Amino acid sequence: MKQFILRRIAQLVLVFFAVTFLTFASLNLVGDPLFNIVGVISGIPDEQCEAVARGEIEDTKSSGLNMGDCALIAQAKEQNNLDKNVVERYGIWLSDMAGGDFGTSFVNGDEISDIVQERLPVTVRLIVLAQIVALGIAIPWGVASAYRANRTFDKASTVGSFGLLSIPNFALGVILLYFFTLRWQIFPSRYENAGWWSELKALTLPAFTLGLGLAATYQRLLRTDLITTLQDDFIHMARAKGMSDRHIMYRHALRPSMFSVITVFGVNTGALIGGALVVEQIFSIPGVGTELVEAVLRNDPPVVIALISVVAIGFVLINFVVDLTYGYLDPRVRTS
Amino acid sequence: MAQVSAANTQLLVRDLTVRFPTTRGTVQAVNGVTFDLAKGASLGIVGESGSGKSVTAKTLMNLLPRTAEVSGDVIFEGEDVRRLALQGREHFWGVKMTMVFQDPMTSLNPVKKCGEQIAETLRYHLKRDKKTALAEAEDLLAQVGIPEPGKRVNQYPHELSGGLRQRVVIAMALACEPSLLIADEPTTAVDVTVQKHLLDLLDKLREDRGMSMILITHDLGVARGRCDEIAVMYAGRLVERSAPETLFSDSRHPYTDALLRSIPRIEQPSHTRLEPIPGRPPELINPPEQCAYAPRCRFAQADCLESIPDISGVAGMHEFACFHPANTDRGREALASNLASGRTATGLEISSAGASS
Repeated sequence: MKQFILRRIAQLVLVFFAVTFLTFASLNLVGDPLFNIVGVISGIPDEQCEAVARGEIEDTKSSGLNMGDCALIAQAKEQNNLDKNVVERYGIWLSDMAGGDFGTSFVNGDEISDIVQERLPVTVRLIVLAQIVALGIAIPWGVASAYRANRTFDKASTVGSFGLLSIPNFALGVILLYFFTLRWQIFPSRYENAGWWSELKALTLPAFTLGLGLAATYQRLLRTDLITTLQDDFIHMARAKGMSDRHIMYRHALRPSMFSVITVFGVNTGALIGGALVVEQIFSIPGVGTELVEAVLRNDPPVVIALISVVAIGFVLINFVVDLTYGYLDPRVRTS
Repeated sequence: MAQVSAANTQLLVRDLTVRFPTTRGTVQAVNGVTFDLAKGASLGIVGESGSGKSVTAKTLMNLLPRTAEVSGDVIFEGEDVRRLALQGREHFWGVKMTMVFQDPMTSLNPVKKCGEQIAETLRYHLKRDKKTALAEAEDLLAQVGIPEPGKRVNQYPHELSGGLRQRVVIAMALACEPSLLIADEPTTAVDVTVQKHLLDLLDKLREDRGMSMILITHDLGVARGRCDEIAVMYAGRLVERSAPETLFSDSRHPYTDALLRSIPRIEQPSHTRLEPIPGRPPELINPPEQCAYAPRCRFAQADCLESIPDISGVAGMHEFACFHPANTDRGREALASNLASGRTATGLEISSAGASS
């Protein structure tokens, strides 16, 4: 068990380095970071500035330069370590990160750690709520349809779950918004955070938007696994012991049938972050997704890298927890 | 059954028939099975795979899939078992009547501790609280001869050997002190040395508790020393029923006869060839109106192909379903004429090698 956790932590570290380095490198290769800081003057060739520094040409309009352009470039390079190569800069970024310093936005100079602190909890709460909605619906639903497999309820469920699976998030979000906010005015139309109750209300519709499709996925998986488990001898044994059907479904069959659901649960958390991006837009929720889109659109690499790193760490951590859950679900995993 | 007094009869099965509709046709799994079981007695049901013995047991336990079509009567201690099933009666199966399955490797829930699996029946049926139930579970484990029961209650099934697991299953079945235990091939999946221990344990528990038992097995040898009566099943029918001594010394049905011949015996000289039963078990979908064993039977005559022989004889003593029973004059005649022509009425070629009596 100890070894298992250590191995997992090593994996976590590796994934973290891989994701952050690739993001870092690609954002540096795709665009010139200098352009994002100083604008068009980043196009001034290095030789020209070097010539200015040596006093060979004058730093005036006649040579196509504005007064102080070269100084500005030099300062920007200095501040953001742009005169160093990508690997070196990555190293600097890592050590800053380790010290809790995420850097600042190139565009508006905001502290990134503030952005993360402000945005991350909202998205985390949204995703957690969406998963709760999904599991809360999928478990009783899957159990009910597997209990009477291929009968009326199960067949109706199949139609229903495929229906839910085929509605895209944004469409579902808009439909929910129309009925629950516009027509019946049960839920607020925009995000507000005056205490946990108002936030819960504001996050309910987005959570259902994300969670319903997931619930359908989980229900399909759980149903199939349950039907297989119900063929097992220990289920017959439990029935021969005279246990109630309810007890057999929830206490005997459910746990050994949760593997696919748990696996997909972990993997889907990544997809949920992507889904949250769209849903956050529809419901105007100030979460990581919204910020990430904005940062990409305004060419703000430090913010993008920081947010992606946070998401990647979260994703790996969740899958780590999922792996630990296998051990809880099946004691045989623990010993092997 | 005149000689079985109603007061002493625990289980009455009358004309039990089970059918499974499938896309290929209706499987006639059990056909008119009738037997009684006295309180505290043990009945062995012997037959090969597909003979309907497990389906019979599952019918008693209400474990058949919903698609099964059942007819006939099953009366247990005066109660109509099939009606109880329809009414969804609780605290009957698992309390009065329980079952032990073949494979201890799969009949325990892999994700629940052994103690918990025993305790849950006590908690559900007898409303024990958690602590008492676990203490009783530990006690039960001790009763079935599991060493260190205190440790075992907190172990998972995969941490135990096959023999120990089957003991846990037995402890589980016995938790609520049932009056009838159905053991479906309880020792088939464990090795021979463990087999004997388990069978001895079942015998002892049965005697200590005055419990009745139905022991289902494909092994006549297993049933021999442990049952008051043995019923042989073939193709969903009871073909012979008697006390074990009678069955072993004076069998009537050619199938039983052939089964006995296929068992290796210690008194035979070494390298004696065992006599296998020719052919394969019959198809249970749309079987022809004839004795199901006829195509494999050395005694088969023309009349065997015309109708199905009913089980008859002295009820409670020796019953069999055959027109030309072995170890009788009629049977000897039939076999002799078949041997003379080299083939039976179904075209099965036979030779005098290992000729029957």
